[in-house]
Amino acid sequence: MRSPSLGAERARYATGVRLENEVRRARPLLGTVVEIRAAAALTEEKLHTAIGSAFAAIERVHLLMSYHDPASELSRINREAASSEQHIDAETYTVLEAALRFAALSNGAFDPCVGEQLEEWGYLPPSAPPADRTRTAGGNWRDIHLITPHRVRLTRPVRLDLGGIAKGYAVDRAVEVLQRAGIERILVNAGGDLRIAGAWERQIRLRHAHTPHLSAEVLMLSNAALATSAPYYSRRRLSFGEVSALIDPRSAMPYIENGSITVSAADCMSADALTKVALFARPEVTEQALAACGAQAWVQSAAT
Amino acid sequence: MIPGSRLAFMPLTAICICQPAQAMVYLTIEQAQQLMFGARPLTVLPLVLSATDVAAIEHDSGVKVYADSLRVWKAADGYFFVDAVVGKHDLIDYAVALTAEGKVRQIEILQYREAYGGEVRNSHWRAQFVGRHHGDPIQIGQDIQSISGATLSCQHLTDAVRRLLSTYAIAIAGR
Repeated sequence: MRSPSLGAERARYATGVRLENEVRRARPLLGTVVEIRAAAALTEEKLHTAIGSAFAAIERVHLLMSYHDPASELSRINREAASSEQHIDAETYTVLEAALRFAALSNGAFDPCVGEQLEEWGYLPPSAPPADRTRTAGGNWRDIHLITPHRVRLTRPVRLDLGGIAKGYAVDRAVEVLQRAGIERILVNAGGDLRIAGAWERQIRLRHAHTPHLSAEVLMLSNAALATSAPYYSRRRLSFGEVSALIDPRSAMPYIENGSITVSAADCMSADALTKVALFARPEVTEQALAACGAQAWVQSAAT
Repeated sequence: MIPGSRLAFMPLTAICICQPAQAMVYLTIEQAQQLMFGARPLTVLPLVLSATDVAAIEHDSGVKVYADSLRVWKAADGYFFVDAVVGKHDLIDYAVALTAEGKVRQIEILQYREAYGGEVRNSHWRAQFVGRHHGDPIQIGQDIQSISGATLSCQHLTDAVRRLLSTYAIAIAGR
């Protein structure tokens, strides 16, 4: 007896569709190069269309949550939410809600209120008007109040930066869009924060924390996300000392050691945020946070 | 690793180091044209930049202009550009579609290659890629692995697109 799937395969051959095609594309988004790889028993044209929609979903996240763009929703929150409650998009709300969840889970080792400090060190552009230090002192994630549905209010004019979580969220959105388009195997990599979905097992190399152009370790990944945080590309010396784009929100000290943290989780937003938890929380807090998310962390130690 | 722990420590001295071989061809020029303009005909637009143009573009965009890296095609409803950019850690060939009004409609990366350490600062090594185009595709492995690491900035690419828009305004739209 002939199986129905064999019939379907023959039908595909008859219409000129090969069994499986794969397309890889890359665009500059979220301040990095975002790569999308999609494979399915679809025509290349259909794969390109689906990838185009996935990039559009990432672009939307970029437009909503960019610190660099004064017209983004995040910039509006930073300018106005301390004076008046702001209506925000459901996607921004989702990311802020998750940011608060990771902040609570880590006692503030993850905190989106690091924008002011990153501006000062030159990692983010100066916001207009500049933050009023007399009013932002001591501000943290507890100053962010979400009001259902889709409103936010700040109790101090802190500067939110979603750079530690929005990239992961954008990767998850792209994966969702591709899954809905019927893509069977997916890999989305936003400059090192990545997720793989479908019946696919891929080798992922980790950059060596001391010599990042080389790889340190190969991990096998399937149906999971991976994110890495390390200062190797962002360390720089300023007049008062060395800084990096990784900042301990509670001490306002930069992470300038030679280490790196990689986290795997079911979704990329959790993996992204948890790298910051693992970097700055006490080990027992990190263990609890990882367990709460079903995640796992790899530490490349700073010691040589 | 402590039994039952979710934190694994990897002592770096014990790690086997190998090169990441990050080089990837995403699209050929023809594929990018097809993707951005479909079957609509594109004609090559010769781009000759005078010293005055170069100075004006550099002043307008704040980005240094290197000769020969930019190529332009014209369609009925816009422009197609191919350019190359060298960053601190990588080399990128990319394509941009502009609308007839000169607004960015789409950006696609054609080739991405990461430098091995200091190579990218070596002018001879850079010279092989700048101004070089896709007639000679690079050899890539059968299955290029993905890399997880701290995010590499693409600021140099953003700067290059700004330079491209200045070039359009000064040397194409203005004539």
